[in-house]
Amino acid sequence: MAQEERRQVIDRELTMSRAMVEAIAHEMRADDEVFYMGEDVADYGGIFDSTEGLLEEFGRDRVMDVPISETAYLGAAVGAAQEGMRPVAELMFVDFFGVAMDQIYNQMAKNTYMSGGAVNVPMVLTAAVGGTYNDAAQHSQTLYGTFAHLPGMKVVVPSTAYDAKGLMHNAIQDDDPVVYLFHKRLMGIGWMPAPDGPKTPVPEEEYTIPFGSADVKREGDDATVVTLGLHVHRALEAADALAEDGIDAEVIDLRTLVPLDTETIRESVAKTGRLVVVDEDYRSYGVTGEVIASVAEDGLADLEAVERVAVPDVPLPYARPMENEVVPDSDDIESAVRSAYDA
Amino acid sequence: MSGTDDRVAVAASDAWPEDVEEEEGVVVNWFAREGRRVEDGEAICEIQVEKVSVDVPAPASGELVAIERDEDDEIAREDVLAYIDPD
Amino acid sequence: MVLVSELREMYEDMVTARYYEERLQEEYLEGKQPAFDISAGPIPGELHLAAGQEAAAAGVCRHLRDDDTATAPHRPHHVAIAKGVDLKRMTAEIFGRENGLSSGKGGHMHLFDPDAGFACSGIIAQGCPPAVGAGLAAKKRNEDGVAVAFLGEGAISQGAFLESLNLAAVQRLPVVFVVEDNDWAISMPKGRVTDVADGSQRAAGFDMPGVRVDYDDATAVYDAAREAVGRARAGNGPTLLEVQVHRRMGHFMGDPESYRPEEDVEAAQARDSIERLAEDLRGAGLEDDDLEAIREDARERVDEAIEWAKEQPEPEPDAAHEDVFVNPPSGVTTEEPTHELAGGDD
Repeated sequence: MAQEERRQVIDRELTMSRAMVEAIAHEMRADDEVFYMGEDVADYGGIFDSTEGLLEEFGRDRVMDVPISETAYLGAAVGAAQEGMRPVAELMFVDFFGVAMDQIYNQMAKNTYMSGGAVNVPMVLTAAVGGTYNDAAQHSQTLYGTFAHLPGMKVVVPSTAYDAKGLMHNAIQDDDPVVYLFHKRLMGIGWMPAPDGPKTPVPEEEYTIPFGSADVKREGDDATVVTLGLHVHRALEAADALAEDGIDAEVIDLRTLVPLDTETIRESVAKTGRLVVVDEDYRSYGVTGEVIASVAEDGLADLEAVERVAVPDVPLPYARPMENEVVPDSDDIESAVRSAYDA
Repeated sequence: MSGTDDRVAVAASDAWPEDVEEEEGVVVNWFAREGRRVEDGEAICEIQVEKVSVDVPAPASGELVAIERDEDDEIAREDVLAYIDPD
Repeated sequence: MVLVSELREMYEDMVTARYYEERLQEEYLEGKQPAFDISAGPIPGELHLAAGQEAAAAGVCRHLRDDDTATAPHRPHHVAIAKGVDLKRMTAEIFGRENGLSSGKGGHMHLFDPDAGFACSGIIAQGCPPAVGAGLAAKKRNEDGVAVAFLGEGAISQGAFLESLNLAAVQRLPVVFVVEDNDWAISMPKGRVTDVADGSQRAAGFDMPGVRVDYDDATAVYDAAREAVGRARAGNGPTLLEVQVHRRMGHFMGDPESYRPEEDVEAAQARDSIERLAEDLRGAGLEDDDLEAIREDARERVDEAIEWAKEQPEPEPDAAHEDVFVNPPSGVTTEEPTHELAGGDD
């Protein structure tokens, strides 16, 4: 599906932040019930450019700066969504979710179920995630696994501008709560240069990318690397290096964690026999373990070797040598693939 | 391609933020590659000057024939960023 | 009446903090021009400077002892300096060095110096509950220690702050909440995020005293804090104190402040609480030479601290795996699984 989409000739390139904003603006034009609220999303345009230009077009009623009161405004998004509106509410850093955790996991995520489906919560919770710029333990987490673990939230993690736009359209149109986690390092912000890769051609018209469709970002026969977010690009870099030694890695971008596209992963592992899961979240009880378990449950016989690469179970340290130690880089991915390949 | 004399320069100075004394900046993003048709006024490039990011609009419709300053290149106010071969 | 020696100490804290941040700014921008890349230069991560807010910290902390506690938010340097945090080790921490206060693990938003009774949190208002806890510990032990939570005016709409006010009030805990009102929560002016212009009015809802000090006058802060800290130390419960201060620069280094009217920046820079205090000192008989001597002394200490910090080694990468626990449980390890498990004396 995604590959088919990419065959179109599109030569306009966008950064990931601009692609996200384009989708949000499109949805806001199409439906008056869509609005955006968060801290510094109006005049500032989002600390990570997530709402750049929206205030000018839509005004303060629909692009709302809110007090630093995450419990109140995320809960208000839940309430407005239950009234049938389609709020997009932003947490400036995903790390701040703790301040408002009850509204997120006890209200937003559970009200549909607790009401037996009598109410639904069609909102999007956006949040900036990720490290690599030494912002230390309270501003560098991804927490992918935390949101995916708690039932009731669809969890989206784009890695390119093309995916970001299609997934955002889908997120706003979805009738359930969607947590949309964008990596700061991928946004294309002037003061935080992105790696090559997230800036891609992006069609001007609307398109959706269905949740639960992982994307094979690179095909290969020797090992399956399953990853998401920033680490898609680090895995592609590792795959290029491995190719020089004749190791042909397939790189799968999950794009959504809930739902998880286990079919694409299993098909790939059936072909390669080797599974390497790469995650910027904590190692234990998280994405890596879940992906491996989902393969083992139904495809154990296909598995010749398994490796996981993730943040060891420590908070993110501040100093550069230590942050570099714990956040996986392309060398870590490369050696994990080699190790699986040699097993 | 017709003679280079017809080309329209995409000048950094056209987008340079007002009230900024800084004479140096950096190219942050290109949104078009060489050979692409661009529309007059379309944001084709983003530059950063003293922490402020600004879009550089295409000064004319036509083909973007030459990018003179790549991403991450440092630039000065008087620099030409690219040339457009107008329609 | 304030003793001249106290005014002198406050002046010293304020000029030290101001010069310290000027130097940090220089160091931080090294390698970040003309392209501002947050990952470049000698100081890692974000940097939030407090220039223009020194009077609040200096005036309050003069009343605190080493065994009292202060908690600060993401903009902590002026509070740390006024509370007597080790300047060299704090600077080494900000530079991400091994001999920093937190061995390079915390950084500028997460400074901890238990010897000076100082801690921070980078999450808005989340330093308030731990300050209440420090006050609770003092009360339970029948000690006369006091805890002070510093926060910005953006934090007064946060649940953790409001819940802390209530808990401190109902338990009559020795806590002082100090709101540094610089009028801006990043890009959001106070008037757009709360209908209460005077944040100290929040105190009324908890039946505790609320006091606002206008015009970041260090001497006025000192007077107000004497009463608040004295009340807490005497066992008469908490006080909410709001101090008007000024944000002389962006929220963080790299903030273009495109949202902020030029007049507002100019007004903030025109009001100088340090110069105001200098006038008070001149009125009390100090000569310009005396003031210059204090400033010179501050510059020397700051320059020395920065020089020392930069000479310290960076931490070893492997140190990242230490300090998750002080007593790592047997069988728990943060090392890669190929390594031996920690502990193992079972």
